[in-house]
Amino acid sequence: MPADFDFEFRSLFSQLKETSEEAADRAPSSLKARLYSALVRKQQENGRLASLDATVASGREICVFEKLVQIAPVGEKAKSPFFCEVCHARVLAENFDSPPIFWPHCPYVEFKGS
Amino acid sequence: MELPIQTPAATEANAADEQRLVAEVLAKDRKATADFVGRCSDWLYSFVRFRLTPRTEMVEDLMQETLLAAWQGLPNFRGDGSLRSWVLGIARHKVEEYYRRSIREMASPEEDSLTKAAETPMLEQQLDLAMRQERVHATLALLPEAYGLALLWRYRDGKSAREMAELTGKTEKAIERLLARARENFRRRWNDAR
Repeated sequence: MPADFDFEFRSLFSQLKETSEEAADRAPSSLKARLYSALVRKQQENGRLASLDATVASGREICVFEKLVQIAPVGEKAKSPFFCEVCHARVLAENFDSPPIFWPHCPYVEFKGS
Repeated sequence: MELPIQTPAATEANAADEQRLVAEVLAKDRKATADFVGRCSDWLYSFVRFRLTPRTEMVEDLMQETLLAAWQGLPNFRGDGSLRSWVLGIARHKVEEYYRRSIREMASPEEDSLTKAAETPMLEQQLDLAMRQERVHATLALLPEAYGLALLWRYRDGKSAREMAELTGKTEKAIERLLARARENFRRRWNDAR
């Protein structure tokens, strides 16, 4: 009887829902790192990122490597690329969930602790 | 899940914080984008993973699709609801699209007759909840993907055969046949594992 089958399966699968949905797992940090890199690359495809000066002006902190670029006597355009693209921290963070990276204000380090 | 109760002032502060974040992400501020990804990832991970379990290999792809769609749609975020609800709404759509695609692309099964196993009692009432869940996931993992997704859609998410037919572009009869085969497969594998 189809109705019985439906009941049997509904009962089995509804239990699946009630408990599993409560488990609010955090995303692994390596996954966050890969998603972040992908999104910033996408943003770059659609034009320049906000310059590091703008980031600092909005009250956000930047990492030591970004700071070096930000204080350099170069134009706004030179302060806009996605510098993490060439940073070892990004590579490590995208591949390991507890990467040995510790720079303050590096987004990849912050994913580790979030 | 019981959500923490927020005072109106806290809700307003959250809304203002989210509006600021959205504005900064739209301005392509990399640190704001990191904040955005950090927040969204945790919301999305549980949501998407739960809906794809036991086949979780697509979780990252769907999360990425969702985040990109969210970023592209951010200019439309008005802040009427929370950012979380808005992002999860996009994720719901992406997951549903994945279900639709998987079921739609499945080749129509042969008109084989359903076996007698379909009438065999399947469930062991004495299995405790955790064991049952584990076993349901293990059994689903053994099924062809479209069968597993069809069962989840029908019995976990409560979609009717008619709704599934409309969403996949198949006939209701085809969906019923698909479900019957999925049940039969599930039951056979469930019983084999005993």
